[in-house]
Amino acid sequence: MLYVISQLVKAYHDRIVLDIHSMEMEKGIIYALLGPNGAGKTTLLNILGFLEPPTAGRIWYCSDQVQFSTSYLQKLRQGVVLVDQNPILFTTTVYKNVEFGLKIRGMSKNQRDKMVDEALDLVGMRHFARAQGDSLSSGETQRVALARGLAIFPEVLLCDEPTSSVDTIHQAIILKILKQITEEKKISIIFTTHDIHQAAVLTSHTLSLDHGKLVSA
Amino acid sequence: MLIDSLISALYLVGSLDAEMVSIVLVSLKISTTSTMIAGAMGIPFGFFIAFNSFPGKRLVITILNTLLALPTVVIGLFVYSFIARKGLVGSLGLLYTQTAIVIGQTLLILPIIATFTIAAISRIDARYRKTALTLGASRFQMAMVIFKEARFGIIAAMIAAFGRVIAEVGISMMLGGNARGFTRTMTTAMALEYDKGEFTLAVALGIILLTVSFGINLLFHSVQGRTRP
Repeated sequence: MLYVISQLVKAYHDRIVLDIHSMEMEKGIIYALLGPNGAGKTTLLNILGFLEPPTAGRIWYCSDQVQFSTSYLQKLRQGVVLVDQNPILFTTTVYKNVEFGLKIRGMSKNQRDKMVDEALDLVGMRHFARAQGDSLSSGETQRVALARGLAIFPEVLLCDEPTSSVDTIHQAIILKILKQITEEKKISIIFTTHDIHQAAVLTSHTLSLDHGKLVSA
Repeated sequence: MLIDSLISALYLVGSLDAEMVSIVLVSLKISTTSTMIAGAMGIPFGFFIAFNSFPGKRLVITILNTLLALPTVVIGLFVYSFIARKGLVGSLGLLYTQTAIVIGQTLLILPIIATFTIAAISRIDARYRKTALTLGASRFQMAMVIFKEARFGIIAAMIAAFGRVIAEVGISMMLGGNARGFTRTMTTAMALEYDKGEFTLAVALGIILLTVSFGINLLFHSVQGRTRP
C-alpha cells in the first residue's frame, strides 16, 4: 500500500476541515480526488505531501507509520512531490528551476543536465530551458512545474487541480503527460479536480470528498 | 555670489583638488565600512525576524520601526557616553576616530537594513517556501531559496542605508570631531566651510554629495524596479 489513513482529522482553530475515518491508496495508480471547492482536497494533498501535519489520526506511507517530526518529514518529501494549483517558478531560468531538486540532492552536473533535459522533454518544454520562469504563460508554468517535480523521479506525484488555471490546449497536454508518467515511469499520481469528466479521462480510481469527509471510494 | 561660488566649485571639482578628494575618500571609506558592518548584522537579523514566528515578533518590528526615526544626535550622544574618556570603553581611545563614526553610523542604519530586509522577506510569495519543501529542501535550503528571491529587496536595503550615512552630519561631527584629513567627511567639511563663510569647497562637496546621492537613487530605483514582477 502507498498510503493508509486512519481516523485522520485536520482542524484550523476550531473548524474541522478534514475528517477521514479510513482510506487506502495503492502504488502505481492514478487517483482522482473529487469534490467541490472547500471539500478539503488541497488540505488532504498537503498532508499526503508531508507539508502539514494532521491534527489527529495516523498515516502509513509505504507501510511505515509517519512520524510528523521535521527531519523525518524531510526524508519522506524526497519521494513525494506536490505540484500546486497555481505553481510558482523561482525567478531564474526554466533550466535552473528544474535543476533545483537535483542540485539539493547533491547530483553531479552531468547527471543534472541529463535529468533536466529528460524531464523537460517529457513535458515538451526543452526549447524553453534558457527562458526566464516569469516569462511563461500559466500553461507553460504548469508544465515546467511538472517537469521540476518529475526531474527528481518521485514515487508519488501530487497535483492540485493541474488543469484548472490553464487553457483547453494545455489541459489536454497536461492530462496526456500525467497518463504518460504513470504508464512509462510507474509514478503514482494523486490529483484533485472538481471536474468528474476530466477525472474519468485519466482514471477509474476516484475518491470523493465533501465537507472534509470521504463520501465514496 | 552664488554664481561665483558655483563656478569656483565646478573648477575645484574639475581640478580634483587634493583636499576635496581626501574628504570625499574619507567619507566614502567610513560610509562603506558602516554599511557593510550594518549589512552583515542587519540582514541576518532581519531575515531571522521575518522567517521565524515567535512571541514578541510584532513588538520587535515595532521597536525597529521606531528606531528608524532616531535622530543622529541622539545616537551621537549615546555612543559618546560610552567612548568618551570617562565612558565605559573610554580607555580604548575611540573618540574622534573614524572607528567612532563607523560605530555611530552602524547603529543608525542597522534598523533601516533590518526593517527593509524584513519587508523584503515578508513580501516573498509563500508558495516559494512550499515549493522548496516539496522538492525535498531542508529548512536551511528553503531559507536560501527565500533569501535568493528577496535579493533585490535586500540590495535595495543596503543602498538606502548607504544613502542615509553618506549624507548624515550629526554622528560624524559629534564622534569624529571633524579632524582634517582624518575624520573630516563631506558633510562636516561643508558645515565647517559654511561657518567660515567660505562657500567654494562647501559647494564643490555639495555637488559631489548630490551626484553620489543621485547615483545611489538611480541604483536604488533600478534595483527596486526589479523586485516587482
